[in-house]
Amino acid sequence: MAAASVASALLAVTRRNPVHSMLWVLALFLHVAGIFLLLGAEFLAAVQVIVYAGAILMFYLFVVMLFDLPAEEVRPRFGNHWPFAAAVGLGFACLAWIARVGAGAPSAGTPVAVERVPQGNLRAIGTALFGPFVLPFEIASLILLAAIIGAVVLARRRAA
Amino acid sequence: MIVPVNVVLALSAVLFGIGAFGFLARRNIILMLISVEVMLNAVNVSLAGFSRHLGDLRGQVLALFVIAVAAAEVGVGLGLVIALNRNKPGAAVGDLTKLKW
Repeated sequence: MAAASVASALLAVTRRNPVHSMLWVLALFLHVAGIFLLLGAEFLAAVQVIVYAGAILMFYLFVVMLFDLPAEEVRPRFGNHWPFAAAVGLGFACLAWIARVGAGAPSAGTPVAVERVPQGNLRAIGTALFGPFVLPFEIASLILLAAIIGAVVLARRRAA
Repeated sequence: MIVPVNVVLALSAVLFGIGAFGFLARRNIILMLISVEVMLNAVNVSLAGFSRHLGDLRGQVLALFVIAVAAAEVGVGLGLVIALNRNKPGAAVGDLTKLKW
């Protein structure tokens, strides 16, 4: 599943047709949801499918289809500095890897209340969200409200 | 099924690298935004991996916040794209030279 998600991510950033690219990103999101399931994060997997694959990707597809696709396809899909970009991407991946190795993989010890999961991942997350995380939760709702208003203001047709 | 945390972190690093490459190399503004989504997803994978590894749910809660911020980013970003598209059709960042002197 990891290999499949890497493959679909690669295809997503290299396809020429934006719609094909979108569909590969959809495959990537579904695979990541599967990885979340394997990691025991059921609620996160559900949110991934609903929010990412359902809402965000549909939004992207609508905007893509508003645009002039054939005109896009004849353009070069990469700028002429793409080797530099590839180097930067590789560098980031190596950096993340080195940071992990240098820090020494986080000690597997101290299993702090590991298996609260059996009683339902959703209940535990909800408790955490409305317990210690209630302030960030409210701030997230504020961010979303600001984004809604901002999007409406930006995309509105100027009156006269 | 036990997933080793090393594999999860390697996957996250690779996905993040792909996203960074896509963001820097693509010349289509929508696909650049999609690459940002790929990077955010890579971070979510690593958060979920750590959450599993350390037996702490805070990682998953943080991943939820990342998803919320990603949704906000998509809304504002695509609003900007539509506004730009109204002035100048097309989605290629090379054409957006209005703020350049």
